[in-house]
Amino acid sequence: MKTALAWLLWLWIAVVILGAFLYAPLAKGFLGQSSRILFFHVPMAWTSFVAFIAAGISSARYLWGGRDPRHDRSARVAVELGMLFTILATVTGALWARIMWGAYWNWDPRQISICMAMLFYGAYLALRESVEDPDARARLAASYAVLGLVVAPFLYFVVPRITFSLHPDSVVNARGKVDVESHMLQVLLLGSLGFNVLYFWMHNIQCRLAALSERRDAAEEGS
Amino acid sequence: VTGGEVEGGIGWVVAVNLIVWTGLFLYLLRLRARVKDLENGNASPKLGALQENKR
Repeated sequence: MKTALAWLLWLWIAVVILGAFLYAPLAKGFLGQSSRILFFHVPMAWTSFVAFIAAGISSARYLWGGRDPRHDRSARVAVELGMLFTILATVTGALWARIMWGAYWNWDPRQISICMAMLFYGAYLALRESVEDPDARARLAASYAVLGLVVAPFLYFVVPRITFSLHPDSVVNARGKVDVESHMLQVLLLGSLGFNVLYFWMHNIQCRLAALSERRDAAEEGS
Repeated sequence: VTGGEVEGGIGWVVAVNLIVWTGLFLYLLRLRARVKDLENGNASPKLGALQENKR
């Protein structure tokens, strides 16, 4: 990413922060200022989903695109970043739940499904650590992450819609309609886009760092 | 934790958020510059010294 574009991203997310606190109105039915957490919680959850789908796509490209190690590396980094955004979404969600529901953890279907997503992708990282042969590790991990292309949409979009939940409706609700106040929707969309660009930037840096690390390890083994 | 009025006003919360975001952003910019240096074969003096010690 060019430096000018990076600064544009800084400005973009700074605008989202200002919008979340000074522009968007408070949501009806929410205690005090608690609805402002949603402007960060929703984009983080959305970005984690994008990361897991990106990991699945990179893994499919690895399996059916010539076994290029760059795709394997890209999938691993995507899962790591996806986990980071999932944890952030869970923490911000728990803070909001403490205000609205009186406890950080309530075994709500949304909380359980995000927890299951963390376990699923945590197992991906554990799988990678447990196989020593690099080719077998990449192949097994890629097969597992491709399975995530079905699991992630199920956990993020299906489970919360087929069970009773205290969680507020999604931006696109169960009736397929966008039922969000327009100023809030603007900030939510700006935030989601900004966080996604931030994710792709972090992904790019992390992949390059991982490539350098692999190159150094290979050079050390060779000497 | 309550959902009531924010102590000290919302301005402080905005300021803290902007400071945290700017810190993270500058860290990423610096990390990216270091990665670029390493890709071009120009290890920073600190990293060079570490690599020498390792040898």
